[in-house]
Amino acid sequence: MREILNQAIAKRQKALSEFDSKQLMKMAGIPVSRNYLAKSKEEALDYAQKLGFPVVLKGCSDTLTHKTELGMVKLKLKTKEDVANAYDEITGKGIPLDGVLVQEWLDGDNREFVLGSIKDPQFGPCVMFGLGGVFTEALQDVSFRVAPITSIDAYEMMDELRTKKLLGPFRGSPAVDKEMLARALVGLSELINTYEEIAEIDINPIIINGDKPVAVDALVILKQ
Amino acid sequence: MIESLFNPGSVAVVGASEVPLKWGTYIASNILDGKFNGRFYPVNPNVPEVFGYKTYPSLLDIPEPVDLVFITTPSKTIMHILQDCIEKGITNIVMITSGFSETGKEGAMLENDIVALAQSRGLHIVGPNTMGIVNTHCSLYATGTITRPKPGGISIIAQSGNLGFQILEWARSQNIGISKFVGSGNEAVLKIEDYLEYYKSDSETKVILMYIEGIDDGKSFVEIAKNTSLKKPIIALKAGRTEIGSKAAASHTGALAGSYSVFKGVVQQTGIVLAESPKELLSLSAAFDSFPLPKGNRIGIVTLGGGWGVITADECVERGLLIPELPQSIVEELDKRLPPFWSRGNPVDLVGQPDFQIFKDAVELMVANDAFDVVIVLGIIGAKVFALRAAESILNLGKMEKSIYDDFMKSLNVLEKEFLDRLTELMAIYNKPIVTVSFSKSFEDETIHDCGGRFKCVIYDTPEEAVLCVAKMYNYYNYVTKRSMVYA
Repeated sequence: MREILNQAIAKRQKALSEFDSKQLMKMAGIPVSRNYLAKSKEEALDYAQKLGFPVVLKGCSDTLTHKTELGMVKLKLKTKEDVANAYDEITGKGIPLDGVLVQEWLDGDNREFVLGSIKDPQFGPCVMFGLGGVFTEALQDVSFRVAPITSIDAYEMMDELRTKKLLGPFRGSPAVDKEMLARALVGLSELINTYEEIAEIDINPIIINGDKPVAVDALVILKQ
Repeated sequence: MIESLFNPGSVAVVGASEVPLKWGTYIASNILDGKFNGRFYPVNPNVPEVFGYKTYPSLLDIPEPVDLVFITTPSKTIMHILQDCIEKGITNIVMITSGFSETGKEGAMLENDIVALAQSRGLHIVGPNTMGIVNTHCSLYATGTITRPKPGGISIIAQSGNLGFQILEWARSQNIGISKFVGSGNEAVLKIEDYLEYYKSDSETKVILMYIEGIDDGKSFVEIAKNTSLKKPIIALKAGRTEIGSKAAASHTGALAGSYSVFKGVVQQTGIVLAESPKELLSLSAAFDSFPLPKGNRIGIVTLGGGWGVITADECVERGLLIPELPQSIVEELDKRLPPFWSRGNPVDLVGQPDFQIFKDAVELMVANDAFDVVIVLGIIGAKVFALRAAESILNLGKMEKSIYDDFMKSLNVLEKEFLDRLTELMAIYNKPIVTVSFSKSFEDETIHDCGGRFKCVIYDTPEEAVLCVAKMYNYYNYVTKRSMVYA
């Protein structure tokens, strides 16, 4: 973890790329979607085959924000041809990239959550859990705790959401694996409590695949 | 470490005076008129005596040791007086004086000098810009605004002078016992978390009350608050609910993190009982100070009329409390005493019979039963008002002797008192809270009924206030039990 952060700091990055952010999250115990960073079209095709179709391709760089708006995210690519075309489109925009992220496609069930962290001026690093996806900021259904937290705290955070019913069995989907979410929250809290160079983290969305929470995007912002 | 600050054997007041409208006069007269159990030394070079006590030109002239010094003289005199403290070996200081960081740059620089001196010499300084401290157990009432609540189990930390006074004055007027009070002022040296740590270990403190505006060292506050909550409840009112989050936030998480939403998380994490208003702060502190903790969330309701029972049941459900069905055994018992049309359910509606004996029996049946963790009693308290008003009308119309009316009033008061006495006994026997809501409280009626036992009755004005207190006590109980299972 230290290595990823040190390299980014040495390069004076403001943030980690999605690939590096997810690496860090995975090491902290947060379930993330499987992905590879392809440096060429051939690599992208190889990785897609390794992951199994369909896949997702995303332009990857530490300076890239608003990926979707820039047309840098190509979802549910079902064939080699789709992957090749998507690769060309992403790399053809003239935006400098570290590479192209090839990510497994996971079927979600419309339930989306968010994990995150901030540095509060009074209380220091804090973790957040809440309702994720496109309605995150409109509904503001979130819960904070000062890092580090215990697993009791993590369960209480989930229980605090107004929309906590979404974590139970919902419209034919099974109850979310809360233990996995609790471990993710505890892991995230330990990460931000240990690495003081991390300013903020957004893990949004966390989708629910079967009953398993999986982060399909992540952003680590570094302290300036 | 600050135990001696709150329990001095002798105090000196620098700037003590008899001239009205001076802080030195307020503090000195409050200490003396409050009958402090210790020695008192006024320091004032300009007059020979203050309130009959010989004055000393400086601290160094006092022939005996001094445990605690109050400083009320202007800020420019402070550094000199602190040097005298050091020379005399005094480490406990309450700095009433204002004119420091709250006034601007120059004041802030002076405050920094004080902090540096305090750190190098190990001085414990309350304030500056504080309204003072109280320890009722040694009868030390040393606040600038004078109010003297009786000794009890609630200790207070107030980051605002006037709110602190309001809390103390309320306690006095409601006959609620206070242990310690500190107005923390600018918190240049001693911080909110230092007082919290002291109250945690203070055996006279049973419940802690805080009015919070800001916290400097959030991390240490969280640690201390967590450990304190496992030992005794902390009830807090926080100012600045509506302040918006850091605008510089670069992430979505940052945009969601208003300082109050983070504080709400801190509250959950530390077990602090959050009050949403000064009134709530007071009713919660009365509740925690008076009742045994509810060991569950199943509520039995006994009411003098249907409507109130239903409203109270709604309030309970909305706050996560349960209204279980009335056990058959209680139905059978009450069948013997109530008219056949009674509801036979929880809430138990005693069909408008303002009869203390039936209420006593019904409450005891409920509180003794394993089906309930808390009993809420609605409307028998205060029902006397209606009987009295009717009697008053007859009296006014000349058809009742005044002496008969007076006896009637007295007998109703006795009945009400006996009823409340019985409730406190039942609480002690069954170790469950019995919460009463008054139908109509007259001005002189008590809010807290204390007959000297382990528990007290709190008489609430409204069902929602009563339910809120029960719900928050239950949440606190839950916080502690969940964690003590892990840490035990």
